[in-house]
Amino acid sequence: MLALHNTKCECGHQNAVGTVLCESCGKPLMEDMENDAPLEMRYDGVARRSQKSNPNPIDKIWNFFSSVKIAVYLIVITLVTAMFGTIYPQEGSFLNNFKPSVYYEETYGLPGKLYYKLGLSHTYDSWWFITLLVMIGTSLVICSLDRVLPLYRALSKQQIRKHLRFITRQKTVYAGQVEGNTDEWVKEFSVHLKKKGYKIHTDGSALLAEKNRFSRWGPYINHIGLILFLLAILGRSLPGWQMDSYVNIPDGDTVPIEGTNYYVKNEKFTVEYYKDEELPPELQGTIRAKKYETNAILYKCTDNCGDDATGEPVLQQVKQQEIEVNHPLKHDGLKLYQFDYDVTPKLKSVSPMLVNKETGESYGPFELPMKDAPLDYTLGPYKMKLAANYMEFGIGEDGEPVTLSRDPNAPAFIFLITGPGLPEKGQPYIYFPMQKDKEKFDQDKLNASIADKLEIKVDGMDNVHFAEASTYLNVRKDKALTYVWYGAAISMLGLLLGSYWQHRRIWLRIDDGRLSLGAHTNKNWYGMRADVAYALRKSGIAVEPKSLDNGGNNA
Amino acid sequence: MSYVDFSSDAFIVAFFLYCFAFLFYVVTIAGKKWSNRDPEKHEKRWSRISFVTSTLGLIAHLTFFFTRWFGSGQIPTSNMYEFITFLGMAIMIAFTVVYAIYRKPLLGMFSLPLVVLVIAYASVFPQEVQPLIPALSSIWLKVHVTTAALGEAFFAVGFAAGMMYLIRVVDFKQTSKEARRDQFWVEFSLYTIVLVIGFIAVVFIFRGAGYEATFNQEKVTIDSKGVDHSSEDTTKYTLPPIVKPYNSQAVEMDSFLGMDKPLFEAPSWMNGINAGRKLNTVIWSVIAGSILYGIIRLLFRKRIGAVIHPLMGDIDPEDLDEISYRAIAIGFPIFTLGALIFAMIWANIAWGRFWGWDPKEVWALISWLYYSAYLHFRLSRGWQGKRSSWLAVIGFVVILFTLVGVNLVIAGLHSYAGV
Repeated sequence: MLALHNTKCECGHQNAVGTVLCESCGKPLMEDMENDAPLEMRYDGVARRSQKSNPNPIDKIWNFFSSVKIAVYLIVITLVTAMFGTIYPQEGSFLNNFKPSVYYEETYGLPGKLYYKLGLSHTYDSWWFITLLVMIGTSLVICSLDRVLPLYRALSKQQIRKHLRFITRQKTVYAGQVEGNTDEWVKEFSVHLKKKGYKIHTDGSALLAEKNRFSRWGPYINHIGLILFLLAILGRSLPGWQMDSYVNIPDGDTVPIEGTNYYVKNEKFTVEYYKDEELPPELQGTIRAKKYETNAILYKCTDNCGDDATGEPVLQQVKQQEIEVNHPLKHDGLKLYQFDYDVTPKLKSVSPMLVNKETGESYGPFELPMKDAPLDYTLGPYKMKLAANYMEFGIGEDGEPVTLSRDPNAPAFIFLITGPGLPEKGQPYIYFPMQKDKEKFDQDKLNASIADKLEIKVDGMDNVHFAEASTYLNVRKDKALTYVWYGAAISMLGLLLGSYWQHRRIWLRIDDGRLSLGAHTNKNWYGMRADVAYALRKSGIAVEPKSLDNGGNNA
Repeated sequence: MSYVDFSSDAFIVAFFLYCFAFLFYVVTIAGKKWSNRDPEKHEKRWSRISFVTSTLGLIAHLTFFFTRWFGSGQIPTSNMYEFITFLGMAIMIAFTVVYAIYRKPLLGMFSLPLVVLVIAYASVFPQEVQPLIPALSSIWLKVHVTTAALGEAFFAVGFAAGMMYLIRVVDFKQTSKEARRDQFWVEFSLYTIVLVIGFIAVVFIFRGAGYEATFNQEKVTIDSKGVDHSSEDTTKYTLPPIVKPYNSQAVEMDSFLGMDKPLFEAPSWMNGINAGRKLNTVIWSVIAGSILYGIIRLLFRKRIGAVIHPLMGDIDPEDLDEISYRAIAIGFPIFTLGALIFAMIWANIAWGRFWGWDPKEVWALISWLYYSAYLHFRLSRGWQGKRSSWLAVIGFVVILFTLVGVNLVIAGLHSYAGV
């Protein structure tokens, strides 16, 4: 149908297929000549790229994404699916030891089970949610390109003298008689418009006044920012661009940061609470943290790094800092945030003695740390080899010993002891440093015959060392972040340009003393009418701003 | 007298000034039809009186805000009471800006009751200054919360204008199917607003009477090691318990109109002890609001929409449509900046990630997507006027859910702002 349409305007301008208003004189091309309703001025009536005749498959995809209607549908679908994701907590909001397959059903029953099965428990990293974001991104690119280029072309070569029908069918119009010299009248009128910040172009008794054209580019700048923002977010899935892990460090410990060449030491964790008199009455007696911080040292590993290294890693200090909430330690794109803490004291090491029960002789004490304990010990005539250790000792379903967690809540050590009066290949001895575990698991019974000969025991609390607190740090690295901020800033700039300024144009021509005026803005018709009424009043024509309204919609 | 006490007085002054300003705006509009006066002169005179009163109210409100800030040493936007009062103040600022552009006193007749309602709602929450948890003490908190609230305030004015548009154009005399549907939904919206008034009234009536009931709920959980833990939760009702929490015992309960035990128990899927209390509050709101609505209907013998509709006869609906759109278009960049960009900056500083899909964040994004859809709809033919006004009304519901609903219904990082 479109191809049959004659696209040459009576002013001689050859328009592209799909043009609504002649790009040169503005004469309505596609509508019934008798129609008097205000014109459809979107994109100045230019043909968009998507309005091609005979679209090929690529054009069809382009056409699909170039539709604002499709863009709005995509936005609506995204916001509805985003709602579903907030019904129950997302999987990502739990830390360790979290089994989603059990949790949702156990906590929320059947709805929870369905929620998990439908994949809504990880809505925001599901393939369909990401697909929606990618589609919105595509739509942003194509919608913008489809319109901004023809619009730019049309606005940069505007004709001053417009077709009469173009003027009288604007949404803001005025028509009346002008006495005297018409060119003079136009000159005076333009002075008043200049005061309002308009740029004036005249052509005899025809006038084009325009202001704030830049605001037309606002939406497109905004879209560029959004595209950059979305690309930055997608870029985070590139290897090495993003890292997000947690480390738990008891006081005084040094731990490697996995995936990097760094180690971090918790020199000392401190927490300060609100005093009772600082709290309102109903909160008194409750414990509320006021400030907590970790004195941390960041090391770089220079030798013997990684899991397959044989010796002790060689560490070189790079930075020492107090890490608190809102004040992370930053080094080379790596950031360490204060995330959480645990103030239950954790057993760190003991210094027990090996006692020969028969003679009463004792050997030691020797240092036995809960983590990374040495494998061999020599105590007088005895030699001990660490055969196994458990951080939280328990008996598994198959009757074998297992460890229930990686925290030293119920540590146990199995030594193979050789020496006088013991078999040559050694005799196993299980040792529980904590008294409560010794009784719970009945250490003497487990050790059987060796329990009568030898005992490992701690002499007094001086030989027991606790870490008073442990800190949880969140380790982050995000290369996309810079682009995220640039994207947000550009998008914000575009929004401001597009929202707080409006592109206003006034066309005017005087034919045989008859003044025809039409005005258009992309937003804020109230302001548009006020500008026109102001200039008319100053030129001797008193009108109510509202009377200039020609009906139609406030787009 | 301490600064915090002084600020409370300023708050009360602001509240009453707002109430008077509301009455004056009503006089401005309704008085035009009174005999013995020139309508135009009347409107000019009374709209000035109303605007001066509402601006004085705003000044008193600002005084409250800054003296409380000075007195407590922290910006008063950190608990529900402070945040909601701030939102009320932001709506007043947004109203003042939009009024300065359009000078339509009718806008005051709808914005001021909204402000009064919002700050009355705020007073339901505990008013003491509460200490901040460390994650909250950052300059970005102040910037994020205040900017976001200001953006939302413009949406609120857009909502008020949209609601006005609907009452203006929906003819309560027509009986066509479409007209009936519109009438129903306009009336439903007004009924919802009456429910909120009912909620506030009920809370204050029982608070004044000092009503209290306490419940204990025993909860047994079995952990991964097969050990069962039982914990006891206690909750205090300030409204007579029509519904008690699931599986709970009354510790003590004042008798109300001979009702000395709860009538029902909350269903088991309502997890936690507070779910029962919230359900009870909702039931009370519906009862009180419905009674109030019934009284209004009895007084006027017609629907509320039909009562207000004739007052607006000489208002141009297109102006209302434009004001609603403009308010939202002004608010959108502010909202984007405050609720998304500043929020991301703050989150990045405080938690090391600019986005975490926390429910509050997701709902801020939903609100943003909603209003960006609204702005795109405005570009399409047929989405101005009635449809657009409905979108503005629904949008404000989305905003309210983001602000209050998420805290009350969904728990997340922002839950410390809850009650």
